[in-house]
Amino acid sequence: MPAAPDAIVTINRRRFLKGAAAAGASTAAVAGGAGLILLGRDHPEVAASTGVDRVVRTTCSPNCTGGCGQLAFVRDGKVVKVQQAADYPDAVYNPRGCMKGISYHTLIHGADRITTPLVRTGERGSGAFREASWDEVLDRMANEMRRIGERWGWDSIHVFGQVPGSGYIQKGANYRASALLGMTHGTSFDFNGDLPMGMPITFGVQNAEHEAKDWANSRFLLLVGANPVETRIPDVHFLFDAVERGAQLVVVDPNFSGTAAKADTWLRIRPGTDAALGLAMAREILAADLADMDFLRNFTDAPLLVRLDTGLRLREADLRHDGDPDSFAIWDASVGRIARVGTDRLGMPGGTQAALAGTFEARLADGSTVEVTPGFELVRRELDSWTLDRAAGVTGIGAEMIARLARAYATAKPAAILMGGGSNHWFHGDLTGRAMGLLAAMTANIGVSGGGFSVYVGQYKVRVNVGPWFNPGGTKARIVPSIYFLRGRSETMHPDVPYPANGFHALVVTFANMFVQSPDLNRLHQTLSQLDLVVVVDHQMTETVRWADIVLPATTWYEKTDLTATPLHPFLQLQQAAIPPVGAARSELWIWREVVRRIDPAKAAEFMEVTEEEAIETILAAGAKDNGPTAGITLDRLREGPVRLNVPDPDIPFGPQVRDRVPFPPVSMPAAPEATAAFLPTRRIEFYKEEERFRELGEAVPTFKDPHDDGVHDPVTYPLVFLTPHSKWRIHSTYGNSPWLAEIHGGRPLVLMHPDDARDRGIADGDEVEVYNTRGAFRCWAQVSEAAGRGSVTLPEGWWPRDFVAGKGVNELTASEVNPIHEVHFVPNMWSPSTGWKDCRCEVRRPEGGNRA
Amino acid sequence: MSAQARSGPVGRGVTERVGRVDPLLAWIGFLLVVMAVGFATWIYQVTNGLGVTNLRNTVMWGQYILFFMFFVGLSAGGLIVASAGRLFGVTRFAPIVRLAVLEATVAVMLAAIFLLPDIGRPERLWHLFRYPNLTSPMIWDIAIVTAYFALSVTYVWLYTRADLAAARSPLALGTGDTPAGRERDDRWKDALAWIALPAAVLLHSITAWIFGLQISRGFWYSAIMAPMFVASALVSGVALVIILALILRRFGRLSFDDGLVSFLGGLLAAFISVEAFLVLAEVLTAAYPGVEFEGDPMARMLTGQFAPLFWFEVSVGLALPFFMLARRSWRASPRMVAAAAGIAIVGIYVHRLNLVLNGLSVAPIGLPPGVSIGTAQNGASFAMSHFYVPSLVEWLIVAGVLAGGALLFTLAVRWLPLRPAGH
Amino acid sequence: MRYVAPKEATVPDRRSPIDLLPAASREWGRIEPPSDQPRWGMVVDTERCIGCWSCAVICKSENNVPLGAWWNRILTEGEGLDLPTTEHGSEEMSWTPLACQMCENPPCVKVCPVQATYVRDDGVVMMDNERCIGCRYCMIACPYGVRTFNWGTPQRPNGLETGMVAERPIGTVEKCTFCVHRLEEGQVPSCVVSCPAGARIFGDLNDPDSRVSRLIRDREGRMLLEDRGTRPKVRYLPARRRRGL
Ligand SMILES: Nc1nc2c(c(=O)[nH]1)N[C@H]1C(S)=C(S)[C@@H](COP(=O)(O)OP(=O)(O)OC[C@H]3O[C@@H](n4cnc5c(=O)[nH]c(N)nc54)[C@H](O)[C@@H]3O)O[C@H]1N2
Ligand SMILES: Nc1nc2c(c(=O)[nH]1)N[C@H]1C(S)=C(S)[C@@H](COP(=O)(O)OP(=O)(O)OC[C@H]3O[C@@H](n4cnc5c(=O)[nH]c(N)nc54)[C@H](O)[C@@H]3O)O[C@H]1N2
Ligand code: SF4
Ligand code: SF4
Ligand code: SF4
Ligand code: SF4
Ligand code: SF4
Ligand SMILES: [Mo]
Repeated sequence: MPAAPDAIVTINRRRFLKGAAAAGASTAAVAGGAGLILLGRDHPEVAASTGVDRVVRTTCSPNCTGGCGQLAFVRDGKVVKVQQAADYPDAVYNPRGCMKGISYHTLIHGADRITTPLVRTGERGSGAFREASWDEVLDRMANEMRRIGERWGWDSIHVFGQVPGSGYIQKGANYRASALLGMTHGTSFDFNGDLPMGMPITFGVQNAEHEAKDWANSRFLLLVGANPVETRIPDVHFLFDAVERGAQLVVVDPNFSGTAAKADTWLRIRPGTDAALGLAMAREILAADLADMDFLRNFTDAPLLVRLDTGLRLREADLRHDGDPDSFAIWDASVGRIARVGTDRLGMPGGTQAALAGTFEARLADGSTVEVTPGFELVRRELDSWTLDRAAGVTGIGAEMIARLARAYATAKPAAILMGGGSNHWFHGDLTGRAMGLLAAMTANIGVSGGGFSVYVGQYKVRVNVGPWFNPGGTKARIVPSIYFLRGRSETMHPDVPYPANGFHALVVTFANMFVQSPDLNRLHQTLSQLDLVVVVDHQMTETVRWADIVLPATTWYEKTDLTATPLHPFLQLQQAAIPPVGAARSELWIWREVVRRIDPAKAAEFMEVTEEEAIETILAAGAKDNGPTAGITLDRLREGPVRLNVPDPDIPFGPQVRDRVPFPPVSMPAAPEATAAFLPTRRIEFYKEEERFRELGEAVPTFKDPHDDGVHDPVTYPLVFLTPHSKWRIHSTYGNSPWLAEIHGGRPLVLMHPDDARDRGIADGDEVEVYNTRGAFRCWAQVSEAAGRGSVTLPEGWWPRDFVAGKGVNELTASEVNPIHEVHFVPNMWSPSTGWKDCRCEVRRPEGGNRA
Repeated sequence: MSAQARSGPVGRGVTERVGRVDPLLAWIGFLLVVMAVGFATWIYQVTNGLGVTNLRNTVMWGQYILFFMFFVGLSAGGLIVASAGRLFGVTRFAPIVRLAVLEATVAVMLAAIFLLPDIGRPERLWHLFRYPNLTSPMIWDIAIVTAYFALSVTYVWLYTRADLAAARSPLALGTGDTPAGRERDDRWKDALAWIALPAAVLLHSITAWIFGLQISRGFWYSAIMAPMFVASALVSGVALVIILALILRRFGRLSFDDGLVSFLGGLLAAFISVEAFLVLAEVLTAAYPGVEFEGDPMARMLTGQFAPLFWFEVSVGLALPFFMLARRSWRASPRMVAAAAGIAIVGIYVHRLNLVLNGLSVAPIGLPPGVSIGTAQNGASFAMSHFYVPSLVEWLIVAGVLAGGALLFTLAVRWLPLRPAGH
Repeated sequence: MRYVAPKEATVPDRRSPIDLLPAASREWGRIEPPSDQPRWGMVVDTERCIGCWSCAVICKSENNVPLGAWWNRILTEGEGLDLPTTEHGSEEMSWTPLACQMCENPPCVKVCPVQATYVRDDGVVMMDNERCIGCRYCMIACPYGVRTFNWGTPQRPNGLETGMVAERPIGTVEKCTFCVHRLEEGQVPSCVVSCPAGARIFGDLNDPDSRVSRLIRDREGRMLLEDRGTRPKVRYLPARRRRGL
């Protein structure tokens, strides 16, 4: 019997006892023949586990923030169990994983698994396909692509894939092929609405969050629009660790979420109004004199003077003809004079006492004088209007409660703000981010363990230098924000966006369920008419697959090799094939190699004849330079298990800025440092944005704006806000077809509504209802509970269309307009249009003939 | 026969045949067909698993156990009547004693048979004897059922032995009919009555304890369970004896005067009132404190899901027959007594139904999502409660067993001397 | 013997899945060194439990439990699955994972007519599915509703046999076994390994210094339905008192 060494001892001892007992018993039986009563007592010894052929350590990687290390147990070529590896050297991370990840084998070998290439035989969307050989589909795809490329330009072929953190190599293959063939590659982080635009605007970074274990170091946790109990299952225990050490947990959410259930205080907020809460808190903190003014002086643009005539910052070049256009000015109150501030180092010039309030006169180089004021004065003026009562009116949270929250947050050190999709997924989500960033800076919670303003959204983060892999021979794919694929170019689109001259004529979707997860779905369907070719690479028969002309069967992450890393825990991990590809499934790298080979054999020979391992080694080598994140990491070490990246421990952002006064922003990989530095001309945390569009739109300083919803739905006809958070039971649509999970949740989409809202509409719990607005409509069932707030209804995104009574699902209703602020700069996935899923109004009714409960 | 039928004109052949068939044979043939269907259904159930019933983890006992209990009750009732008559010298029972004993015997057999379709692995039934667990009320019950069966068979034999011997039936087992023998029979009957009465009481009490000792269900965990089971056994047992006696009198297999019917009717009314009293005591005890454990199922019974069953039991099952039998003049009509007895039997059946269903149909811990149902479902596989209605399979199997019982009874009635000598 | 899949006999080079674990994973799942006469117990921390059902899903996977049946499930203390109550004027919700409570005074064992459910020396209430006659009396007797009957041919997603133990015969009852097949090899039950919130702790109740014993003492580990006198070896740690703003 195979057993761990010390288990053998136990078994032997037990066997001995058993033997002794047996001997004794038989003696007794012989002696007395009174065995009858004892007859029933002999039970078979329980054997050890059934054997398996292999146990393979790999990584779960749907489009989730988790990136959890899993073990695949293989018997007869099938994965028969998936279980957390629990082998992180930093034991606090063990065991990473959730109920979804450990049920994945039912999908690898599930009913919806695609095992051969398919070619459409019926209408698009009819789901009628025939099986085909790889040669046939690849030839056909290559021919079509060549025809389209030659006719409309190769950039008219759009590749849409998801955030690369969950698989640098295979998702990288998409980028690599796009670069080689000149195709455009869509963005995803922004298209997912996950890009917290408040971050690049304020901190100049794509996003910056503390690694999850650092939550445990906090004394106060303020969660806004984040539901980690359901969406960050492997990490949420760090919140409890903090609570165990005395931290307070406050959750701001319109619904009684799973996380609200764990909170010390849950504040029900009116959807889309978090910015107002943040502003009122900031005002209260100032009023209570709890703000750290020196932090604001040293690390933010608060003291930098702004010209009241132009709204631009006062620069040294304004003051002196030979002045530096990149140097700024403060008012030194100690001497009543203007002083220069450079951008090479944070902090204030020695001996100065920078004013944060007041209006001053500055004499310009041309001799004229202008009125100037510290940026923070402008911020404060906006804050002044955010009285507790006003904020209470907007947010629905009591004035007294806001005041208490502000003081508690400001006095607990360190205090962390965790923001999630619920707050970010709004047209004006950037304003919420800016208000929260302001809170964190005012309380000096930046760059300290246990503090911070962290936005935890998709697995977006590129933690290693993927350049040599994504960009073959230094050529980069042309990256177009996917929102422009959906809506066409906007009037305010940034000129740097490489929008194809002839529009889009082909779509390749891979690693994404676009026809369920995209906003404004009916608009997406309109794009189909202009597309000559739709190819979908997936391993499940999703809705998107049904709209394809050609379906390519992908391998799952238990059938291929990849490299992963996620924002939440700084470990580099290998995906290793546990089983051979199911059916004719192939990896993305294999697929692109074959496609490129058919289109441009020379390029294929030069750039695509690479194995996954070679690609990984390239990335490791590139990232190891200059003591980079992969320094010291080898493929062999990765084969052994997860390896912590060469990053600080705990991995928190802005350490060098706050500790060593290195200017903002730190690098956001894979963008060039100069590209993101342009977001922050002051190289400081910026609360005052001087770019013209900010001023035009009245967003130069953090403020609040009403929800937008493409400006089409009046609150009288569409009185309900339609919230579509993420489901505990799925990762978006992935796992939506899991038979085990459906057994738990019942497999029917239920739209959550408040009893009063339901009663007003004659709806009872369990009734069939229609949810609709001008963009679309779908039918599902009502769930009536006070978990919902009045005035909003909630249905988690990601349900498969087939689960609804009718309709394509929640995204028929969602909005897609582009916020022009997001077009002020353009760096893909970093300063780029973010979407607003929750910014949506609707009405709910009982459809005629709909079933009642 | 079939050749004959085919040769003549179809219509005439059939009429002729039907016309010629002995009604008894037709009855037996019918029973055999029902038994065969029931048996085949049971085989189907054994091969496909109990999932073909409407039982699930939520309600894991149903129709079969219900009939088990019910027949245990009928059996106990029959024997109590017989032996009580003997013990307390109620000679009026004499004409129907043999019937009562026979009824008890057949009923206990049926009860035992009803366990077969209920268990998932009938081929392992021998485990009961190989690995008996002495703390299990089920083992006690099986022991008492077995003992009781032996007892009642002996009883039947003792009552009919002399007549059988006189008729030189092999069933007399070679004994002869002598006055001394009859006297010895009587002594044995007296002796056995002393055992049979407590055995009958015990039989039903133990069946009650299968439920009543379970702390898992507030509805069952009650000391009154055993007395109540005995009371309902008396009701249903006496009622069935009345009905069977009247039927047999109709067929000329028994003879007695209406006075006995009226007397039995009075007895039945008395038993019904005891039963009603115990139900009241039980309801009050459980409902009064208003505590979850016992109160919740009681609320379900009084005003909730099971209220229709309960109020049917109270009004139709208890009150109605009681009033039908309350007046001496009404009681004088055998039809009235028979009707009341029939209604009372239905009432007891509903009482049992209520007991099993209300005891089981709600998850023992009333928190969502409840217990796992146990079979693959389209939707969620958990349920807080389960509305159990027996499936066709269950009905067919029950019908088969009942047909078997009817056949046995018919044969016994046909071949055993039911009428004591001198009547 | 009962739990070895027949297949295994024909595939000699199969090895124990525990043997094949990466060293770090095996180390993580190792049972705290027990006393000489261990009595296994489990602690569930309701403060930490997030109702994620990971423990329930891995149980299903580990133990090859068919569709429709669960040995382990998570009760929501609320009005519906993941829905709060408003009983005390404000919304409240918590979760109670529920599998066999491994009663010290197990009614299921008392009632089983054939001793097919029995108590092992280490306190585990165990099933002998070769002996069970399928009378379901134990299901009646269990106050926790944790037992499940094999109503028919087991159905599995796409026919996929999962798990590390053989399936149980039709017509018999099954339930949580504390993963005895893993205990044999010195590993904690699968649900304990897989709880991402660290809400499940396993160990020896006979050792007063084991983690389970200490937690039960220090945090007043409660028994479910204590009034029934079943004396479970699974204990529940209550949630903290909330500190409102
Ligand atoms: N189980 C699971 N986990 C996931 C995912 C998944 O699909 N399923 N997806 C992953 C990805 S890619 C992402 S982006 C994250 C997203 O996960 P989260 O960041 O948690 O975001 P959501 O689930 O969209 O919303 C979180 C909460 O915000 C609330 N909310 C809605 N509107 C508002 C509002 O206006 N203000 C406030 N304060 N709250 C509001 C919602 O009720 C909800 O409870 O989850 C990741 N993790
Ligand atoms: N209404 C509403 N909509 C939303 C959101 C919301 O909050 N509300 N949230 C948005 C957010 S934050 C996000 S991140 C997006 C997510 O949107 P998506 O990432 O598109 O959603 P998923 O359902 O995870 O789709 C991933 C697809 O990739 C497939 N896949 C998995 N592994 C592989 C592989 O190895 N190869 C290939 N080729 N395919 C694979 C899966 O089978 C699945 O079909 O959804 C967005 N949509
Ligand atoms: S689905 Fe996400 S959280 Fe769950 S195991 Fe996979 S990566 Fe981890
Ligand atoms: S919980 Fe139920 S099955 Fe488990 S030991 Fe207790 S009574 Fe038996
Ligand atoms: S079903 Fe099996 S284990 Fe349960 S009581 Fe009956 S024989 Fe015992
Ligand atoms: S101990 Fe094993 S059998 Fe019991 S619930 Fe946990 S995983 Fe399931
Ligand atoms: S795995 Fe842990 S947190 Fe999740 S439901 Fe089970 S006990 Fe609770
Ligand atoms: Mo996301």
